[in-house]
Amino acid sequence: MEINIPKSSTVFSSLLRADFTTQWRNRRSAVLALLVPIIILISWKGVIKLFGGAFVLSSAIALGLVAIGLMGYSNSVARDRDKGIFQRLRVAPIPGWAIMISRLTVQLTMILLVTLCVFITGYYVDGIHLSAVGYLLTVISALVGGAVYLSLGQMIVGLIKNPETVNSTSRLVYFAFIITGMLGGLGVLGDQAKEIAKWSPYGTVQTMLAGSLQPDLWHNETTMALLVTLGYTLIFAFMGIKKFKWNTR
Amino acid sequence: MNHHEQILKVEGLNVYYGTTHAVQNVSFDVKRGEIFGLLGPNGAGKTSTLSAIEGLLNYHSGSISVAGHNNREKPLHAKAALGVQLQSTSFQPELTILEILQLYAGIYGLSLGKAELMNKLHDIKLADAANKKFGQLSGGQQQRVSLVIATIHTPQLVLLDEPTTGLDPQSRRQLWERIEGIREKGHGVLLTTHSMEEAQSVCDRIGIIDHGKVIEVNTPEALIEKHRNEPEVIRVSRKGRITLEDVFIALTGTEIRS
Repeated sequence: MEINIPKSSTVFSSLLRADFTTQWRNRRSAVLALLVPIIILISWKGVIKLFGGAFVLSSAIALGLVAIGLMGYSNSVARDRDKGIFQRLRVAPIPGWAIMISRLTVQLTMILLVTLCVFITGYYVDGIHLSAVGYLLTVISALVGGAVYLSLGQMIVGLIKNPETVNSTSRLVYFAFIITGMLGGLGVLGDQAKEIAKWSPYGTVQTMLAGSLQPDLWHNETTMALLVTLGYTLIFAFMGIKKFKWNTR
Repeated sequence: MNHHEQILKVEGLNVYYGTTHAVQNVSFDVKRGEIFGLLGPNGAGKTSTLSAIEGLLNYHSGSISVAGHNNREKPLHAKAALGVQLQSTSFQPELTILEILQLYAGIYGLSLGKAELMNKLHDIKLADAANKKFGQLSGGQQQRVSLVIATIHTPQLVLLDEPTTGLDPQSRRQLWERIEGIREKGHGVLLTTHSMEEAQSVCDRIGIIDHGKVIEVNTPEALIEKHRNEPEVIRVSRKGRITLEDVFIALTGTEIRS
């Protein structure tokens, strides 16, 4: 019997349209992910003189990325898995990767949006000007940095099935990143905490972003931060994919 | 159209959950233009069997062929020939009914315009609900939407997992007519149900499964006829008339399953 397998492009575009529509209807959470970096940029205006524009901009972007990867991605995957939405999709002739790639594409678009908003706010509110190369490198770094938080989000939904526990865990990790990353990074919590913060998933992404904002100042430590970020991504993604179950039963 | 053609063939299916042998050497088939009911108490192995056919779980051994395609060797072909209504179907709560239909039409590679999709909703008397969210519909309306999505690509085999659970008598009757309509179009239907009334009214053949094993496969009438004089069937019967439920309880036992 002749069976027609739908074209991958048709399947993928249908999934993408549905996922973008879902994201648009959930725009309140997207606005929140945008709001935190914008608030930081506005409220940290005085910090620019002390630590430089690159530090403030990279902190703002890094926090936006954490919010998207942890709160946005992991919670939406946990909720849809719990409701059986993935199971319904999986009985259709779609490879599992297409479902996840579509989700990740939406989140990567959100990352680009956050980065763009931070650039615009930084430019107009804080007067932070970058070179064209700096903007381009930062966008690339934001995508690489976003990947580490998305893979961390994947690991959380891989290890935890209950959507409420996923929600509380991702919030806990988010606030842990804020505290250790921002306060630790500023040295408020002492030298040891500063060193830990520097090599945490938050710190490496921030270092990488700061290096991208000022390509002339890219040094060995920035390269090391990039490599560590990629390492984190691989470990989290491996764990997240290996442990992930499509249903909660 | 060959009505004896096997549209689903399950042979020697074995499913394990850890050390629990949930489905044991299960074999049965569903023919084109036939409604086949899979009956069994809770935990008997119905949903595991269905999940294996749907490609949602890895079975240990055996083979499953949908429209001639082995679902391990050609999973996408087997899935494309299947229409599925899951027990607790859920769709993205943010999407409207029309958007959900658009999504699944695209997933099955159909280029249906808005007018064609609206026609489908019109057929199930839900054209007015096109812009409502799935969660805003009543149970009966949700089942109609699920069924229209399960059959949107005119699949050769439709799997319905307890499709009438929680429906009022009117909605249930209406759904039975729709299921019979699927059969009239020459599709095969495999449904699971706890309702013996439903099995007796709708199914052409029935497979009774218990403790992971298929213990009987026959037409409802033949099953009643075969067992009507057995002492256990007579003992469990009520009001002096032997029904399919009496035969089912006699075969699967009276104790409540978890």
